[in-house]
Amino acid sequence: MKSKRSSTLWYAFLLAALALPFLPGGIGNTFHGHVLTMILLYASMAQSWNIISGYCGQISFGHAVFFGIGAYGAALAVVTFDSLPWYGVPAGAAAAAIVSVLISAPCFRLKGHYFAIATFATVEIFNRLFMIWDWVGGAIGLDYPILEDGWRNFSWSGTKNGYYLGALALFTLVFGIVRRIESHRMGYYLRAVREGQETAESLGVNSTFVKLSAMALSAALAALCGAFFAQYNYRVDPPMVMSLDMSMKFVLITILGGLGTFWGPLLGAAILIPLQEYTRAYLSHLGSGVDLMIFGLIIIVTMIKQPRGIMGIVHSLRKKPETPAASEEICEDREGER
Amino acid sequence: MRSKSMLARLLVFTLCGVFLFGGAAFGADKVIKIGTLFPLTGPSAVSGQNCLNSLLAAVEVINNAHPELDMPLAAKAGLLDGYKIELVKADHQGKPDVAKSEAERLYNQENVFAIIGSYNSSATKPASAVAERAKKLFLCGASSSAALTERGYKYFFRHAPTDAIESEEFTDYISWLNKEKNAGIKTLGLFYENSEFGKHAADEAKKAAKEVGLEITADVPFNVGATNLSSEVQTLKAANPDAVFGAALGGDYSLWVRTMKQVNWLPKIAINYCTGYQNPAVQKELGADGNYFMGGMSFSPELAEKFMPEALVVQEKFYRPLANQPFDSDSVQEAVMLMILGQAIEKAGALDTEKVREILASETFVSPLSLSGEVAFAPGGQNIKALSVITQIENQKYNTIYPEKFKDSEVIYPMKPWDNR
Amino acid sequence: MGNFLQVLIDGLLNGLLYALVAAGLSLIWGVMDVINFAHGEFLMVAMYLSYWLGFLLDIDPFISWIAGGIFLFLLGAVTYRLIIKNSLGKAAMAPLLATFGLSMLLKNFCMNVFTPNFRLLSGNWLEGRTIAFGGAIVPLPQLVTALFAFAVLGVLYWMLKKTRLGWAIQATAMDKEAAELMGIDTERIYLLVFGMGGACVGIAGSLMTSYLAVYPEVGGLFSLIAFVVVALGGFGSIPGALLAALLIGLVESFSGFYIAAVVKYVAVFAVYLGVILLRPRGLFGW
Repeated sequence: MKSKRSSTLWYAFLLAALALPFLPGGIGNTFHGHVLTMILLYASMAQSWNIISGYCGQISFGHAVFFGIGAYGAALAVVTFDSLPWYGVPAGAAAAAIVSVLISAPCFRLKGHYFAIATFATVEIFNRLFMIWDWVGGAIGLDYPILEDGWRNFSWSGTKNGYYLGALALFTLVFGIVRRIESHRMGYYLRAVREGQETAESLGVNSTFVKLSAMALSAALAALCGAFFAQYNYRVDPPMVMSLDMSMKFVLITILGGLGTFWGPLLGAAILIPLQEYTRAYLSHLGSGVDLMIFGLIIIVTMIKQPRGIMGIVHSLRKKPETPAASEEICEDREGER
Repeated sequence: MRSKSMLARLLVFTLCGVFLFGGAAFGADKVIKIGTLFPLTGPSAVSGQNCLNSLLAAVEVINNAHPELDMPLAAKAGLLDGYKIELVKADHQGKPDVAKSEAERLYNQENVFAIIGSYNSSATKPASAVAERAKKLFLCGASSSAALTERGYKYFFRHAPTDAIESEEFTDYISWLNKEKNAGIKTLGLFYENSEFGKHAADEAKKAAKEVGLEITADVPFNVGATNLSSEVQTLKAANPDAVFGAALGGDYSLWVRTMKQVNWLPKIAINYCTGYQNPAVQKELGADGNYFMGGMSFSPELAEKFMPEALVVQEKFYRPLANQPFDSDSVQEAVMLMILGQAIEKAGALDTEKVREILASETFVSPLSLSGEVAFAPGGQNIKALSVITQIENQKYNTIYPEKFKDSEVIYPMKPWDNR
Repeated sequence: MGNFLQVLIDGLLNGLLYALVAAGLSLIWGVMDVINFAHGEFLMVAMYLSYWLGFLLDIDPFISWIAGGIFLFLLGAVTYRLIIKNSLGKAAMAPLLATFGLSMLLKNFCMNVFTPNFRLLSGNWLEGRTIAFGGAIVPLPQLVTALFAFAVLGVLYWMLKKTRLGWAIQATAMDKEAAELMGIDTERIYLLVFGMGGACVGIAGSLMTSYLAVYPEVGGLFSLIAFVVVALGGFGSIPGALLAALLIGLVESFSGFYIAAVVKYVAVFAVYLGVILLRPRGLFGW
């Protein structure tokens, strides 16, 4: 599955990304540094979602819940317990994994849109519960005090280098895990479940176990991203992290890049995030929502013209003339959505 | 293949936009760049756009010579020796994370001298944390969360009276009514949106009510943007408190009033935090149904006529052409902050953040656009001269009823019941 | 007792409103297996249309619903031609995401054109009219809207069950290829269905303007509730949607009054999850 070429590409990419802050005029405290950091963060988020939804075929709109739990883990450690975020991060990831299994175990029985809407509903429930749960700050949210810069507090103000490297570490972890999975037995199980649960079962794959463990892993990784998000923004409140908008970001980035592909989430983030950030930075002052209109239009055009995302375009470029079979294997319409 | 050309065209279009607007940043050299950070899109966009328009009006006053206006900075064109203010506008969409990254961009990329913003307290918090860490100025007009100025920040200054100040004023007024008018108000209901803003207001209201021995018989938070408020209003009606403190923005406010009309219930008195109540557009559409409600305000055209004549001139000449409505107490305060900043820069004699900060922290400023006429900041950044009055609306006119000093009408108490209007 | 009756009535009225809002969604989902994510924005567009007709031309919402229905029929049809048709069957969730893009576009377009201001139509025929009913109060605008819900759902149901068009729609829903072999122009059916779905939400939006404020974000919660109603009722079942909507409305008003107003939507979504886990295809699903 994994060709030598793709390995070279992977290591070359990591090396280049690692070198960036050390080049003259690299990251500093620039807006471009912010955009690069966000690309890495959102790519990691999208990839964590890709595990359960892309590889395993269970399209979830509920990942904002796990992302939010991770964010609250870090923020509670810092704000409520006056301690280091590092204690909150594993706690948040573990909590997210547990919650994801508790929610998914019954929900996996639902098919297609029923599953999708059930995951919407979970986001709404968690959002509104956190809004009234005073221990986690309720609607007021949790605000970070001003902390000393450095890795200990995972907080910087004068430069983005620390955040960038942190995001890169997160990216390496998430993408590294997915790389392992792709070539590992687990990867075949996931795809088998996606292509047809009954067939997978008949081949001796315990599909429930496969789906639940993929969900737990996916949720824990999403929670790590959430912790980063809280640290980066010095604040957490429910609409920020546990909202349908946030859930949609996981979905949109991956699908734009290419569902169920390794590079898809990175490509999707590399297009959508700069688009979102730069259009907002340079068009939003018009106060006219033009930036968001462009954003919406691009989503529509992509879905109409190339629903397999950028990876679909890459495939069709590589294999001219286009052979439909080649790109369709990536994400064939799931049978029995009804 | 058409797909690619379509995408490419879009991208080119976007990039052109980026360069175009990026390019506009160069050019004129004698400028002071001030960042503005408001919710220009999203749920609170109405207020955000009003705030921005108010700042544009203030810029007009500062940048051009207006000897006809009797207020600081008006007579001369520009600041210092001919510096003009240039606003660099940003939109945080009501999202704290966007506010934070836009604040960073404004300070680091656009090199703004200070930021004025951000309306929503939840966005002001992380954005001003950026400023504090970078030792840059952050000026805030309308955000009302008391927590903002309890953080001990050195570079943060806020004009608006906090929820805490307003809550005490409301309960003071109730005590006054009980004493002077024999109103007999003993119970209080709270009706507030379950958001950062509403929750803060309710918490302060509870504290203030405890002070004066008001019993809280209904505590009703509601979901922002709810499809209906029938259970909320039904809960209020069942508890039937004498007074209600409300904190609901635009659409929710009008829905609340209409729903109370439907169930034919009113408290004896309903006082609102700076909310939908004070939005002239909302009141216009509520018409007579909005009558007799009360609210804390620091600006109304009626008040301005008596105590802030200059504000009316600014409003008519510069604000109304942009916003198509009079100032409201949120938006006008943003203009005040820019005028104060301008005065501080003028006094410092140079664009030196530290010097300007010291002047802001220590001096008292003349401010014809503020109700009290002056502004001074306590450590932490709260405006200690902040003043708000209680108004009661009648036929879309905000009558000032308390405190005595500003009063222009007698209160209509209790509110006239729906079937007797 | 007075409270109980009032809460019951509120719940029923709200439930019927949800049924009206969800009717179009249910039809589209049932026939095409597509979730129109821009449903809430369709509702908003209809509300704006009705608002401006009322504000500028003095046409009451109880008349302008005809215009709303027609306009949204066209909007639905155009959406189908330009977006749904081209994304249908291409990839999982492609139509859903494409309509999500459409919802962003519509919402911000309306914000751009109409400003984010809240607009409330006043001076309507039924504004503020109520009838007393055993100690409870029934607001007339809501009551008429609720009656419209019955009418719209009834017409839809009758059309599906009793007319040739309805049979063709059902045939297309069950098996598109087979329907084509039978000589049904499924393309036209899809177009009509999307248009009719739009028309339903157009009628709902127009009527709502008689008592709700219009602003660009107004569709958000309504569309979520509509999704839940449709999924709870079961795939494309009109009686299912009606029953689900009533259930949702009652859960909302009873939990809102007897537990706490702030948890009413938590209760709604939790009840939905509970039911859907017991009946994975909804109340009336097949």
